Amino acid sequence: MIQSLANWILSFDILSGMGISIAWSLSLFIVAALIFVFVAANAIVLVYIERKVSAFMQVRLGPMRVGKFGTLQTVADALKLLQKEDIIPDKADKILFTIGPWIILVASVVTFAAIPFSDTLLAANMNIGLFYVVSISSIVVLGIVMAGWASNNKWSLYGAMRSAAQIISYEIPVGITLISVVAVVGSLNLQTIIESQAGVGNLFHWIPIPLPNWYIFHSPFLFVAAFVYLIGATAEINRTPFDIPESESELVAGFMTEFSGLRWALFFLSEYANATLVAFLVSIVFLGGWQSPFANYEGVQIGFLVISLFAIMWTIFVKVKTKRLSFYPLGLSIIITLSAWLFPGFAIWLASPGLFWMLMKVASIIFLLMWFRWTFPRLRVDQLMYVSWKVILPLSLINLMGVAVWMWLSGEIQF
Amino acid sequence: MARLYAEEMVLNMGPQHPSTHGVLRLKLTTDGEIVSHIEPVIGYLHRSFEKHAENLEYQMVTPFTGRCDYLAAMGSEHGYAMAVEKMMGIELPERVEYLRVIFAELQRIASHLVAVGTFGLDVGAITPFIYCFRERELILDLFEMASGARLLYNYIWIGGLAHDVPPGFVEKTYEFLDNFEKRVAEYNQILSGNKIFIERAADIGVMTPEVAINYGVTGPSLRASGVNIDIRRTQPYSIYDRFEFDVPLGEGAQGTVGDSWDRYYVRVLEMQESAKIVRQALDQLPVEGDVQAAVPRRIRPPKGEIYFRSENPRGELGYYIVSDGKNVPVRVKMRSPAFSNLSVINEIGHGWMISDVIAILGSLDIVLGEIDR
Amino acid sequence: MIVTEQEIYSSLSTKFGESIGDFITEETFNPTVLVKAGTLADVCTYLKESESLQFDSLMSLSGHDQDGESELSVIYHLYSTVLDHYCTLKTFVDREEAVIASVANIYRTADWHEREAYDLYGITFTGHPDLKRILLEEDWEGYPLRKDYVAAEFYRGMRIEKVK
Repeated sequence: MIQSLANWILSFDILSGMGISIAWSLSLFIVAALIFVFVAANAIVLVYIERKVSAFMQVRLGPMRVGKFGTLQTVADALKLLQKEDIIPDKADKILFTIGPWIILVASVVTFAAIPFSDTLLAANMNIGLFYVVSISSIVVLGIVMAGWASNNKWSLYGAMRSAAQIISYEIPVGITLISVVAVVGSLNLQTIIESQAGVGNLFHWIPIPLPNWYIFHSPFLFVAAFVYLIGATAEINRTPFDIPESESELVAGFMTEFSGLRWALFFLSEYANATLVAFLVSIVFLGGWQSPFANYEGVQIGFLVISLFAIMWTIFVKVKTKRLSFYPLGLSIIITLSAWLFPGFAIWLASPGLFWMLMKVASIIFLLMWFRWTFPRLRVDQLMYVSWKVILPLSLINLMGVAVWMWLSGEIQF
Repeated sequence: MARLYAEEMVLNMGPQHPSTHGVLRLKLTTDGEIVSHIEPVIGYLHRSFEKHAENLEYQMVTPFTGRCDYLAAMGSEHGYAMAVEKMMGIELPERVEYLRVIFAELQRIASHLVAVGTFGLDVGAITPFIYCFRERELILDLFEMASGARLLYNYIWIGGLAHDVPPGFVEKTYEFLDNFEKRVAEYNQILSGNKIFIERAADIGVMTPEVAINYGVTGPSLRASGVNIDIRRTQPYSIYDRFEFDVPLGEGAQGTVGDSWDRYYVRVLEMQESAKIVRQALDQLPVEGDVQAAVPRRIRPPKGEIYFRSENPRGELGYYIVSDGKNVPVRVKMRSPAFSNLSVINEIGHGWMISDVIAILGSLDIVLGEIDR
Repeated sequence: MIVTEQEIYSSLSTKFGESIGDFITEETFNPTVLVKAGTLADVCTYLKESESLQFDSLMSLSGHDQDGESELSVIYHLYSTVLDHYCTLKTFVDREEAVIASVANIYRTADWHEREAYDLYGITFTGHPDLKRILLEEDWEGYPLRKDYVAAEFYRGMRIEKVK
């Protein structure tokens, strides 16, 4: 992508005078800025979405005043955080206190360089893409421990220690589940992983239900691996039910207690960047990335017909149970089905792979993460460790071996 | 080579903390994550209720009693009014008695909703807290209809009530009850049966009956250990002997008898029982009756003393009142249930981890206002 | 079997003789047994461990100051969860030398209640594991619930307002 951007810059008559290296550096800079803007904008949107989603789950409305339906709430919050007094506790370790949050943020943002947003939008097409993402995102632990230690606060120290133990323990099952997928693909390149999930195939290779060729439907072992990865990744990013390091009711704010203003904003940014990263990885590795779930435009039309059928059944069910007419699911699905049938161009666009499907999948996984957070209580730290070492880890090892056996049985590999 | 030595860390869960249900300070001596000793430090909310009561007339003490246990103010006022009425030998009209029972039981439901919700909040489940408060808002609306205030009422006076309930109150209460019984099923679905919640609460902080009785623990925390003592049954006051209700006991359904899950679940069951009592009281409520008929003009109990106990949502609320014939009491001592309930925390809390200490504290359901008075 | 208060009083006076004072039934709704201050711990131990009495629960322990001059008193309200009967004890202590035996090792409820009586009345309980102020600050001067309590002028440099 950087190469094509550089070529595009040089294609202008005015700018064609600059050498290739300058054009290259300029496009590098632009791409880096774009990634950072994406992460920041993403955090701003996600904060608002989280507040709204949590509010609706809790039978309340959420932010409603700042901007129509509260859409400018995060902007107001960001402005407030930027002008807060920057307090560093007296006995805190000033250097570590300052760079701790930056390390977390940098580690999270840098991993986005290897993430393919669509078939053409990819900053760095590395053939060790997956390895790069997993290893750089582990540097977050350093930042957390620095932040907890430098605060000179026993509670922050508790939070940091717990977080370090938690993240390190969950690295292993996460890595092993990803390796199970790499065993099927044969490459660590994220773009290759996505490209190999094109087309439509059977569920679990033999059950004749036509489903897209995503790895979650490849075999029961990879199906389980997807959920194991999701659990491990929720623990990696310190979200409920694994948010013991920042558990609000116990440790005030855990390792983030002493940070205020801009430094706090950095923690928030990095938390949502991590959540987005995890969602991207799940979508890429298990859900087919930017591949569309529909093979061709007829698939789109039939698919939407099926969805409308479900919507009709749901509306009838709701009417019978609560005597209320639930209009939105039915209306929405009818509108989409009609537009798919009447405007084939729309159906063709939906059937084609691209950025739209990537973002759809990422959004669904992020919604799932938010759903977890507001439903479950949190696990105690030793229960967390128990889950990691005694439940998730053996499961992921069994998955790895199972995938190998499955591939031999289904003929994908020969000995 | 330097020797590595480990020592215990004294950690302060300070007066300001999201989980300590008020301004309570817990000094935890910890070895890593395991707590070896807990020392509660109280007194941050001491407002010298007992000293004030010695300078106020009897009827002026009523609002002060509500402010001690601000989450169950009707219960506090009810206990005080009954103590003074017994001293004076006042006979109350039927309507007053029934209305008082209705308010006391509605207050019990409201207080248990807070206890259940905040217990969920302490272990990390944020959503059930909002659901519990949604129900509590309906109860507070009922209280506002009757007394004009949502939290601190000054409604149960010595000898009667401040004023009668407005028309429409009975229908609205029936509506609330019909709605409420379904909601409890919702709480059980989202919290009581949740595997993670059970892991956080079951087998944690087990309180044996001997320890409970010796430390003076009363109320749902005592009944969760299997001891069947409910003052509404052992020493019935007011008209509680006319209602049919069960007294839920802890059975160790998810762990051992007397663990935090039992203390939580007993409260959920008690809410259902209270709803039953309110329904029966509403059915039997006499239509006629002046609530101010028995309120004496001058409250001057004869010389003497009395210790009167009633069942607060938190346990046994006792009033020890000494009178010398004047209109100002000589001594009003409030024996608050949470005071003794909190003192047991070192006995059942040491040896557990910090997160468990918070869960145990949440399951004991304390209100600092009545501990410190 | 449930014993009446009168029977409790008779069994106590036969056991302890001199240390048990009168049995007060007038001007009180809870018939009270007067006990001498020094023997209180023994009386409570007997009440707890006796087969026929089994008072295993101390409901309330309160200090009391009738007026500003006469003796202070401490009142104990006991209850038997097993046999379902009640008992009330009362002891008088001297104002200047308010010393009484502690029952904190018999009933753990008394631990905090006695600290509160010490804090607000100045009654010292001998044998208490950790007698220090509970509701007020450690360095507060005076015992507020006494009728003759006069607040100091300053506390830690802050003026204490006089309440009219």
